Amino acid sequence: MTEKAKREYKTVEHGPYDYRNDTLHPVVLKNYGKWKHHDNPRPGVLVSVAESGDVLYTVRAGTARQITVDNVRTLCDLADKHSEGYMRFTVRNNVELMTTDESRIDALIADLEQAGFPVGGTSNTVTNIHHTQGWLHCDIPATDASGVVKSMMDELMHEFRHAEMPAKVRLSTGCCAINCSGQADIAVIVKHTRPPRINHETLAKTCELPKVVARCPVAAIRPTRVDGRLSLEVVEEKCMYCGACFGACPSMEINHPEHSKIAIWVGGKNSNARTKPAIMKMVAHGLPNNPPRWPEVNKVVKDILMAYKKGGRPYERLGEWIERIGWKRFFEETGLSFDVDMIDSYRMARTTFNKSAHIRF
Amino acid sequence: MSTKDNPSNSNGKFLNPTPILDDLEKGPWPSFLTGFKKLAERTKKTMIRGVLDQLEYSYKTKMGYWKGGLVSVVGYGAGIITRYSLIQDKIPEAKEFHTMRLQPPPGLHYNTKMLRELCDIWEKHGSGIVCMHGQTGDLMLQGVPEQNVQECFDELNRKGWDLGGAGASVRTGASCVGPARCDDSCYDTLKVHYEVLKHFTGLVHRPEFPYKLKFKFAGCPNDCVNSIMRSDIAFIGTFRDAIKVDNAEVKNWVQKNGMDSLVNNVINRCPTKAITLKGEGIEIEDKDCVRCMHCINVMSKALSIGSDKGLSLLMGGKSHLKVGSMLGSMIVPFVKAETDEDIENLIELLERIIEWWDDNAFDHERLGETIERVSLKEFLKGVELEPDINMVNTPRDNPYFKAEF
Amino acid sequence: MSFELNGKSYETDEDGYLLDLDLWSEEVAKFLAEKEDIQMDDKHWEIVNFLREYYREYQIAPAIKILVKEIAARNEMQKKDASAFLYDLFPNGPAVQACKIAGLPKPTGCV
Repeated sequence: MTEKAKREYKTVEHGPYDYRNDTLHPVVLKNYGKWKHHDNPRPGVLVSVAESGDVLYTVRAGTARQITVDNVRTLCDLADKHSEGYMRFTVRNNVELMTTDESRIDALIADLEQAGFPVGGTSNTVTNIHHTQGWLHCDIPATDASGVVKSMMDELMHEFRHAEMPAKVRLSTGCCAINCSGQADIAVIVKHTRPPRINHETLAKTCELPKVVARCPVAAIRPTRVDGRLSLEVVEEKCMYCGACFGACPSMEINHPEHSKIAIWVGGKNSNARTKPAIMKMVAHGLPNNPPRWPEVNKVVKDILMAYKKGGRPYERLGEWIERIGWKRFFEETGLSFDVDMIDSYRMARTTFNKSAHIRF
Repeated sequence: MSTKDNPSNSNGKFLNPTPILDDLEKGPWPSFLTGFKKLAERTKKTMIRGVLDQLEYSYKTKMGYWKGGLVSVVGYGAGIITRYSLIQDKIPEAKEFHTMRLQPPPGLHYNTKMLRELCDIWEKHGSGIVCMHGQTGDLMLQGVPEQNVQECFDELNRKGWDLGGAGASVRTGASCVGPARCDDSCYDTLKVHYEVLKHFTGLVHRPEFPYKLKFKFAGCPNDCVNSIMRSDIAFIGTFRDAIKVDNAEVKNWVQKNGMDSLVNNVINRCPTKAITLKGEGIEIEDKDCVRCMHCINVMSKALSIGSDKGLSLLMGGKSHLKVGSMLGSMIVPFVKAETDEDIENLIELLERIIEWWDDNAFDHERLGETIERVSLKEFLKGVELEPDINMVNTPRDNPYFKAEF
Repeated sequence: MSFELNGKSYETDEDGYLLDLDLWSEEVAKFLAEKEDIQMDDKHWEIVNFLREYYREYQIAPAIKILVKEIAARNEMQKKDASAFLYDLFPNGPAVQACKIAGLPKPTGCV
């Protein structure tokens, strides 16, 4: 009998880990749903005041996201020492420890820093970067993710520690054109520049042809025969190099060490504060995929950030700043250049055209 | 995991040289690489050495070398992300590098006991590499050979952990810090997240949809959990009655920040010009307010959310693949989520929506794409919802529809 | 990877899926099922045969929702029950086990 057949344990389908099972800091539990107001006394520190009069200080620190059991145990030690044995993570891979004792904040910060977790990332800082898996673990990546983030955050350390931006800044990096990393004030995303090369040797054996055909958003893939074998071909005039077919079939080889480039997008915003949520726009592309430090990409991101830091008004998110000064000045102030590929040519192109006589000189 | 066959290489160290990657150990930001190397040197796990060698090779050749596969645990069709190396001939130690997606507690609140247990089990069966957290919200344990998957899962499961979604399933949910620590939370994000995902647990573990389906739970329109973009069904907290104004605190705020800041940063930034200056205080015209949260964010002590709280449901958020990025759009402007009965009603509505999508969607079509293709009108009919002016920016600007006569 | 059966060699991928789909036979199916700890009975064969017929007609494996609906219809069940029924027969999931036993290509992709 195999191991599998011998198994007697019966799985319990718990769903999410039960948060009621002692996951909340005692002060959090006591004041649950009864908080009065909050503030951000200094970068990396939040203060929450409850109706009961309880005051809770939260210290936020960055992590590498790709961490280890050793890192988690270190954080546990710090949480046991300073935070009653509780901690939480933010959706942007920051860790948060909590204390009610204002006089212990400095010691907590010192311990976090000492352990290699930089404190910051609150309010108008450039906080930790949302990222994907990249070469470390993804099956369709054209670039890495953790390395891009490491190299970028190394250069943005001052902005992580100091709240000097006009408003909060969210960054993300994605390792293929699908962009699992989502929307952000500035996003780094792969843009392929050639159609997929088809591996006819493996295609019919490993992929379901109709599925691959159906996956293409512009109907550029059609069945054909190669050396008598059933296979597929790509109509190159139609293909816009999205790589959707590669996700359905590894034989549609879209990734290329030179031809898979990097594009920069700006102005994404999920918050409803002031303006409605917005989808980001592409402002640079054709940047080289240049590990281990991606200097060309980091320069563009930094140039955009510094122009925004200089010109943005208080509470203006990056996209709102651009909305006020106009795209023409955005390109001038950042030193980037607008080109014909930044004019939309896809499904909803006309919604991005200037249907007015409003122009800027 | 076996730590046999791990001879040190010629330079006497366990790890092989990774000159390109090593550059990422420099600089002030925490280095994932330093963590991995320390873990490998301490545990002598050959899988980590192989993975670092393969990553070095990727950095050198600028290509990825993993392919997917299918590994699962008994009773589940999802939750393990399978990775085999495509260059096993060159780097056999990284042959298998599978990930287990775990559903963390809502709001990502942890105690150290549960995390230490998790670390011990994971170090025993897997690589010890952890991702906190993935983009959908999973806690990911990265690097386990197939033969250890079931036993590792069983041990974790005994401690209250369960796998997350993958493929055409309900995916792991994500929620903001919620009422645990935020005064702006308009509903209990942790509770609703927990109840909804618990209800759909079978559909998380056994994929049977046209494509993935994601839920995210944000306590207020600041949407700190990015639900409008990253989920097919976004639960965004809101309130029906007026913003509460404490004019004594407004006065304190002005004393500290200046009248110019009140005018420039609060009143002028209101998107619907709902705020007027009144003597030394302010007045908010509730009928004009759209609950954007800006003034409350700026003046947390003076202004607060109303008392008649609930949530909006926005649907159709997704990323680029394949029609381009889509933000969720308003489908249910307001629904209460306080009592158990409220939550049951909410889940009943979700059942209808999911059923409609399952019946109408093409293969690999997200909810928002199906609604757009089939029309919002047909969707509303299908799920028995009344049209509401809040669902659109404007009424239609063309006459092309099937009029009733 | 490969396995031997009745003196014949069969190539598979690392998850044990047949690489050449034309080499499938009922003997091969039984062999693959045994490796998955599955004792093939009529209910298993019904699903395996449905998968193969569907694949022959459309060159793709049926979407899981089609399979669930088909089972629900044939057995006069609710969809939810059909899904549970399917996992009773193939505990590690129809994609992993039923497709493998039926000699279909491995389902791909996670996005």
